[in-house]
Amino acid sequence: MGAIIKKEVKSYFLSPIGYVFIGLFLLLASLFFYTDIIVAGSTMYSYIFSSLSVVLIMIIPLLTMRMFSEERKEGTEQLLLTAPRSITSIVLGKFFAGLIVFIIAVALTSIYYIILMFLGEPNLKTSLVTALGFILLGAALISFGMFASSLTENQIIAAIISVAFYLITWLGTPYLSSNLQAVGLIDMFNRFINGQIAIPEVVAFVSYTIVFILFTIMVMQRRKSVK
Amino acid sequence: MITVKNVSKKYGKHKAVDNISFKIDKGEIVGLLGPNGAGKSTTMNMITGYIEPTSGEIEINGYNISKKPKKAKKFIGYMPEGVPLYKDMTVKEFVTYMAELKGVKKDQIKESVEKTLQDTWLQNVKKVLIRNLSKGYKQRVSMAGALVGEPEILVLDEPTVGLDPKQIIEIRNLIKKLGKDHTLIISSHILSEISQICEKVIIINKGQLVAIDSPENLEDKVNVENAISVVVEDKENKMTKIKLRNVKKLELIKENDDSTKEYRVVPEGGKEIRNTLFTDLANENITIFELKKAEASLEDAFIDVIKKNEKEKEKEEQEKLEKAKKEKEEKEKQKADKKIEKEQIKENKNNKSKKNKKKGGNK
Repeated sequence: MGAIIKKEVKSYFLSPIGYVFIGLFLLLASLFFYTDIIVAGSTMYSYIFSSLSVVLIMIIPLLTMRMFSEERKEGTEQLLLTAPRSITSIVLGKFFAGLIVFIIAVALTSIYYIILMFLGEPNLKTSLVTALGFILLGAALISFGMFASSLTENQIIAAIISVAFYLITWLGTPYLSSNLQAVGLIDMFNRFINGQIAIPEVVAFVSYTIVFILFTIMVMQRRKSVK
Repeated sequence: MITVKNVSKKYGKHKAVDNISFKIDKGEIVGLLGPNGAGKSTTMNMITGYIEPTSGEIEINGYNISKKPKKAKKFIGYMPEGVPLYKDMTVKEFVTYMAELKGVKKDQIKESVEKTLQDTWLQNVKKVLIRNLSKGYKQRVSMAGALVGEPEILVLDEPTVGLDPKQIIEIRNLIKKLGKDHTLIISSHILSEISQICEKVIIINKGQLVAIDSPENLEDKVNVENAISVVVEDKENKMTKIKLRNVKKLELIKENDDSTKEYRVVPEGGKEIRNTLFTDLANENITIFELKKAEASLEDAFIDVIKKNEKEKEKEEQEKLEKAKKEKEEKEKQKADKKIEKEQIKENKNNKSKKNKKKGGNK
């Protein structure tokens, strides 16, 4: 798995995608830092994440859409799947590589925390808890994006499937049924913002992530006999 | 070493590979031959564990590729069709990644990569991005990817396709070198290549195994008639008119620009006729420019074998159709007979009831 993670993280930065993702993420973060914190005169660092969680829907597919689609289209999938590696380790390798790039982007927003320290007294605990929730949200989104990417060899379609799913779990759930509101991904994340670690939500995020990792493994295994 | 047992691959109703079985021993160089779309790549993809056969079993060194994929795949280096590569990597990065993927131990990776780069003559381009390489180089990089980590078995899917003649010779030499200490499976539809490199040929057509043999044996099978090729200068066009001893058939192959003609001479009962042919032609004042045994190439063998196979198939199909027709006719006959019987029974009944009525009337 280590070899795959290393190569995948590297290839994010060999192609422009890694830079585009992190650049876009930080650009939006700085925008929200200005509008939500500086203009509002607040020291709530976690507000950045609350705003970012919504745009995450649009930029996470940048990380995930090429994961399996590109390999399939270029045929390099053959190299990967004929190597003495289990499908599980390949899928996990790709997932963690995506997650690592995401965590790098999140870690870079700590600049704004440092700036805030000069302007006031931001709450460290609340900020860390929110960041944790944000990373868990990211992991769930990445695992679905990866699943979408394993379904098709077209990256654009993979991205569209991901965005559609994210929108449904964000905006759609309350409309479908008021009971479903609790499982909307963004709603779940919003329960972290007050600085309390919400255990049910942690479990829910992790389950989301594991389910779609398992689905991806199943798709890859099934494709072996259908291909 | 490699055992393929009754392997089939179906896509819906279409059978890409149909019940193939063969064995490849350690150190053999085997050519997988067949026209485009015959199922060569599918077979190779199944041997390397990229796709799962619909039925049948494949064992690599005793490990079943479906049940113990990790162990079985360790023995194999695969160069897939169309040379898929990570184009954003440099040659060295790519080969290193392949070594890591194959689980080469960390302290041996550097050494193994260097050795592979040397073996495939890639030392001078190792820092070049793969996307900037020419096709011949890409082919070699792909081969290096298969080669790194010293797998015992190398599976090369059309290794020379799309190369220029010089590159083909280079790759061929490389393959020959590799053949010394590896078990090799090479697929190709270029026959000269296979006959030069391989010790054993497996011919596949329409998903079915048609022949397994050495190239020499296959060639011999075709040239049983001991035909002679002769080039003569024959200004008066006597060749077809005169009688030659022991000759069964004479065909004109082609007329050359220098007014010589090439004939193919088939002797009676496979006799050696070069001697008599020479004296016969000399007696008729026909000048011989060339006289030699007509060599059957592997090409002929290939076309011959495949044609036979297709004819057999056609025959089978026709027989099937005829059978089906006969059965249909018989069924219709039976139906007609039954109808007649039924009608007869009805009539009998009617007659009986009439009789009964009559009887009743009599009482």
